[in-house]
Amino acid sequence: MKRTILYAMTAVALLAFATGCGKDFLTKAPVLSQSTELTMASYDGLNKATAGAYYYISSTGWYGSDWVIESEMRSGNGVKSNYKNSNRSTQGYTWNYTKDNTNTTMWAYCYYTVAMANNVIDNLEGKETSSVTTQDLNNLKAECLFLRAFAHFETVLLFGQPYTSQPESLGIPYVYHTDPAGKPERETVKTVYENAVADLLEAEKIIDPAYVRSGIADPLAAVNIYTIQALLSRIYLYMGEWQKSADYATKVINSGKFKMWTAEEYPTVWTADKGSGEVIFEMYGKRTNGTYGSWEDISYMTSPVGYGDPQVAPSLMAMYAEGDVRLKTFRTDEAGESGCWWTSKYAGKGDNAAPDCNNVVILRLSEMYLNRAEALVHGATVPGASAISDMNTITSNRGAAAYTSVGNLDIQNERRKELAWEGHYFFDMARWGKSLTRSADEYALCTMNLDVEFPSYKWALPIPKRERDLNENLKQNPGYGE
Amino acid sequence: MSKKLFSLLLCFVLGMGAAFAQTRTVSGTVTDASNGEPLYDATVLLKGSTSTYTQTDNLGNFKITVPGNGVLVVSLMSYESQEVAIDGRTQINIALKPDAQFLEDAIVVAYGTVRREANTGSVSSVKNEQLASVPATSVDKMLSGKMAGVSITSGSGQPGSTSTIRVRGTSSINAGNEPLWVVDGIPVMAEDFRQLSNVGVGGGSSSTFINPNDIESITILKDAAAASVYGSRAANGVILVTTKSGKVGKAKFTARAKYGMSQLINDRNLRPLTGSELLEYRRVCAINAGFNPDDPSSQYYFPTSLLQNGTTNWYKELTRLGKLQEYEVNAQGGNDKGSFYSSLAFHDNQGVFYGQDYKRITARVNADYRLTRTLQAGAKVNVSYADSHSGQMGDLYYSNPQFAMWGIKPWTPLRNPDGTWNMNIPENSDTNPRAIAEYQTYNDEDYRFNGTFFLEWKPIEQLTFKTTNGAEVLADYSRQYWDPYTHKGTSALFTYWSRDNRYTTSNTAAYDDAWGDHNLHVLAGQEAFIDSYELLGLSSPNVDSAIPYPTTSTGAQDEGAYSFNETSLLSFFGVLNYNYANKYFFSSSIRHDGSSVFGENKRWGTFWSVGGSWNIAKENFFQAFTPYVNQLKLRASYGVNGNNNISAYRAYGVYATVTYNNFVGLAPSRAANPDLSWELNKTWNVGLDFGFFDNRITASVDYYNRLTDNMLLSKQVPYTTGFGSNFMNIGSLRNRGLEFQIDGTIIQNSDWLWTAGFNIAFNRSKVLDIGDSEYLVASDSRIDDTTATRIVKDRSLYTFYLRDWYGVNPSTGDGLWWTADGKLTSDVNRAQYIYTGSPEPKATGGFNTSLSWKGFNLSAWFDYAVGQKVLITNGYIDDGYDMTTNATTLSLNYWKKPGDTGVSPKPVAGQPGRYFVGYSTRFLQDGSYLRIKDVTLSYSLPEKLLSSTKFFNGVRVYVSALNPYTFHHLDALDPEVGILGNVQQGANSMVKSLIGGVEVSF
Repeated sequence: MKRTILYAMTAVALLAFATGCGKDFLTKAPVLSQSTELTMASYDGLNKATAGAYYYISSTGWYGSDWVIESEMRSGNGVKSNYKNSNRSTQGYTWNYTKDNTNTTMWAYCYYTVAMANNVIDNLEGKETSSVTTQDLNNLKAECLFLRAFAHFETVLLFGQPYTSQPESLGIPYVYHTDPAGKPERETVKTVYENAVADLLEAEKIIDPAYVRSGIADPLAAVNIYTIQALLSRIYLYMGEWQKSADYATKVINSGKFKMWTAEEYPTVWTADKGSGEVIFEMYGKRTNGTYGSWEDISYMTSPVGYGDPQVAPSLMAMYAEGDVRLKTFRTDEAGESGCWWTSKYAGKGDNAAPDCNNVVILRLSEMYLNRAEALVHGATVPGASAISDMNTITSNRGAAAYTSVGNLDIQNERRKELAWEGHYFFDMARWGKSLTRSADEYALCTMNLDVEFPSYKWALPIPKRERDLNENLKQNPGYGE
Repeated sequence: MSKKLFSLLLCFVLGMGAAFAQTRTVSGTVTDASNGEPLYDATVLLKGSTSTYTQTDNLGNFKITVPGNGVLVVSLMSYESQEVAIDGRTQINIALKPDAQFLEDAIVVAYGTVRREANTGSVSSVKNEQLASVPATSVDKMLSGKMAGVSITSGSGQPGSTSTIRVRGTSSINAGNEPLWVVDGIPVMAEDFRQLSNVGVGGGSSSTFINPNDIESITILKDAAAASVYGSRAANGVILVTTKSGKVGKAKFTARAKYGMSQLINDRNLRPLTGSELLEYRRVCAINAGFNPDDPSSQYYFPTSLLQNGTTNWYKELTRLGKLQEYEVNAQGGNDKGSFYSSLAFHDNQGVFYGQDYKRITARVNADYRLTRTLQAGAKVNVSYADSHSGQMGDLYYSNPQFAMWGIKPWTPLRNPDGTWNMNIPENSDTNPRAIAEYQTYNDEDYRFNGTFFLEWKPIEQLTFKTTNGAEVLADYSRQYWDPYTHKGTSALFTYWSRDNRYTTSNTAAYDDAWGDHNLHVLAGQEAFIDSYELLGLSSPNVDSAIPYPTTSTGAQDEGAYSFNETSLLSFFGVLNYNYANKYFFSSSIRHDGSSVFGENKRWGTFWSVGGSWNIAKENFFQAFTPYVNQLKLRASYGVNGNNNISAYRAYGVYATVTYNNFVGLAPSRAANPDLSWELNKTWNVGLDFGFFDNRITASVDYYNRLTDNMLLSKQVPYTTGFGSNFMNIGSLRNRGLEFQIDGTIIQNSDWLWTAGFNIAFNRSKVLDIGDSEYLVASDSRIDDTTATRIVKDRSLYTFYLRDWYGVNPSTGDGLWWTADGKLTSDVNRAQYIYTGSPEPKATGGFNTSLSWKGFNLSAWFDYAVGQKVLITNGYIDDGYDMTTNATTLSLNYWKKPGDTGVSPKPVAGQPGRYFVGYSTRFLQDGSYLRIKDVTLSYSLPEKLLSSTKFFNGVRVYVSALNPYTFHHLDALDPEVGILGNVQQGANSMVKSLIGGVEVSF
């Protein structure tokens, strides 16, 4: 009897166990990171995913350092320091890009950002609830559309020839839906620009004009309607769509949300914790950022106390007249013994002793005036605005002499002076078709590509080998070999 | 139909007939003919019947009701069966003779035991007698060098440290390489959860919490046939640990005590330079660089007055004589119903560096009880507590004495004139490791409970049901405290609490039968486990040094950290073994495993093996040779195992938190991989076992081929997918090898016994496929420049990738490198990189001998590894690069005059030539070594003397030297440097010990 009971008990226990252990027993989902499905299932997840999509902009491979320093070093605004020589910042300086060694990081961060934006855009449909309106969802969508356009636009500037000279040449893939098995082909430069513009126009249309992302330290490091309009002004300018560029610059200027920095303010505004006055969009530098570059951060890289490899070219310094407050955005080393100059636009916000961190301005009001002035010179018209008055809005706030007439060269020089060391001049040269000429004396450590003619294949970077190895649909740019 | 009915009827009639025959109750005892010990579980069967049988109890007693004219068949594994006619008796005592045909008696294998003869796979086993003679501190340390193909590398000489164990080479790059540990039938945790001890270099941490004296036997399953019944976890072999059970008889007590001392291994007598040596060396460096060492304004000012205040030997001041003591009592006993074994042990080990110590208490109760004739229950429970203190050992930290003792200059004093610790040590970042040992805390407390409970039911002789259920519960509390005195004025406290719980159930049904020459063993089983881990950490900066607890840190500054993961496994398995006339053996196993760590689509996997062996010595044609060769067996097997040893959740696509702009957002951190699956390990093995001269000499040789397939690697994907890489089953790797083991008794007579053994293993790894990567870097946190150790297709698993050093120019003393175009250069930047050498040994193994005369025994164990390359990056030679620190005696062999060869380059302050840079062939050395693992002399009091006391059963005293000497020529303290063959600055070293002990049983 005892035996029978035991028999039965064992059998029941085994059976119960075997049936209890089905699929559920073996399904152990992570609890500390959120599954992709779950993230995409609610407004809260989508909102956090949208906030996360700004992440890589702050990395050292983008605005955290390289984007600015590399373009300044390529444009002739920068000189490789012999006084502070850590062997950094040489690739851009010498234009030494090959099919095996190019800017792979920017390519990666572009598509990481695009994927983050696409994941949100593709999952917004029908996520309205009693407390989440369609407008709430549209605001997220507008942010993501902006980020998608921004990432693609910046990346095609690197890997494609300028729109103004070879619009039909190959740019980069414009990825609308991120596919784990996808092997997209390169679109023409023209298509990339047009797609970016289309994304931005839709974003402008659907965003709540009063929308400001909440919960973040620096609202100017996130997208609002003016960010979208300011970027449209720049992209239209880069396309030579003068009237549209002027119109979008006007929208931003007339919004009244932004105020020119005065000559007194100008030297001090760069190291603030949050952008003020002119700032439309910026990268927020902070030690708590997951991407914080520490010794590789732009603040340490451009400081004579830090690595200090990228120095300011004397020929850039020579462009400023005496009394121009913009000269105060350059500094020499503390002891003043080197005779070298560095930008002080990233001197550090005081978050830490060296290495410190700093914000990086991406879009600001002066650029809008300069965009409009250039557009007006090229035939755009805006009632009540003129190129001279726009240019003098700049000079009057910089302690510089007023213009009485404005030609294309004035625009170019003023743009170079005003936006120096903010990562503009190289891309301006490309769209203006301006060759690079550097003297061997001034650019002493530049061992190759001292002069680069325009046009040349060198104005578009080679596509990363790694990416071509994994995606046979990507064609290499001419000039770099297969 | 009618035929069946007829047979049934016949059975019934025959059964009735038996019942009506004159029956009687026969009782008796079954004993071992060789020593008279009672034999437990022997089967007593009425010949011709399948239902009339019984088994002996723990005292060897049996009672059976049988016809008076019947014949009893008494059998027990590893004994010769015996038939006894009853002849009307009611009391029959039977003595069984041990079966000389067996090389050894039963060995523990997966889910049971098997006679060595019947084994078809490749297994190595060690019995307690072999283990217990050496006073090792933990199980892994005992096994080193004892089994062919099992390589064991100690993490360090730090008390409580674990070891890296590799069975037949390294089979995986990203999944684990540690074998599965199975203790008393239940797979146990391998991870080390101690946060601060810096000792958990390998797996098998559970083994360090078992008292080595509690172990009855250890078996290592090496090939697929032996291991694959453990399925998805068997790829790296399986270590089966069986703890002791009580023996029948009156209670017996054993007490053990031992005491020992240890010191750092340094058999090449390396040391930092003395004050006058360093001064002279630095002056030479300065002069060679064009500086005047007597000029106070010189960058390199080294006046002779530096020595006037005396010097300090930092090596001596930072090391000490370690102390080890251990006390243990155990008790065992049993009667006809049950038996027990219990032990309590205390272990206290003070390390050779200040601030290092390790205390461990282990307690065990193993008990089993026969509930009814067919039902038996038991439990094996081990609880342990370990309390370890250590520093930031093994790392490049200034507080690590193994780092600091080489770098602090001799004229830097240990103490200030007022007796306080000197903290003004700029060359060591103002860190004094002796002060650190006194003021800072790195403490782990580890509590473990490990219990196994079983219930066995044998309804009929042939059938056994067994359920084994285990619980393993672990809790770790860690505390790291930096005092303001030693931490530049600020304090910091880190507190970690972690726990891991694992529950396992293992249920089997086994059927064993024999008819005629046919023997059959069938087993079916099911197993499941669930494991969850949790860690809570709290960082509390600036705590009040008077109250160094989290409460005195402001809430705003506190930072918490938390992690959690959970894994589960569900399995079904079966074993089928058959042999014909104990001549031809066939075995097979199959296992179906579902694991939570893999992707939805590939969660279940099936693993299997087949094996066969041929007992040639039993063939008739061989009988002429049996006086010389009494054993000859050929084995062959093939099987497929898995490796699921990857972290949880790798198959899930997840968003992880990212912080930007003071906001915690979410970003994709991993793509989903629903197809993520097991690594497969396909192994074939052929082996031969020999026994000569009645097993005076036994030997075995094995050849194997292990192919790791579907290897888990991070595969690069286009960035346009939003990810840079994805974890996939793409690679493949091969290990191939030959193993040989021989043991023999050289002299055996009434007074003398002399035995010796030798084993050697040759393993060759080859990387067959690493996807589309040109190379992978060896991922190991202990290597700072991982580019030096690479994984490259068609080469050994690890290959060094180094600058090509030529040597020193004898006329100038400059270092020279080869360039890519075959020229020599003194410019390090133009040196070519080459693939050269592997840290994989060409051969590994051990040998031993033991000589006994009456009560005296002298035994010695050696182990060795030959042909591995080791990269020395410990910076013991700096050629004048770092003028702020001390240097070692190795630095003094430098170029002094034209014509000097075989020397280091001319030392130049600041070393513009940078010849010292580590990652060059200059520092790649032959790591071969021969280590004397232990030499033990013991004496056991004669039994005659003991029996006259009427109290003692045995008294043994011994003295052991562990690691007394190691032969090698590496520029490092110790040649046992691990799988990756890399000696870094501050690397851990082993210790040597002298231990004496006494064992008393009564």
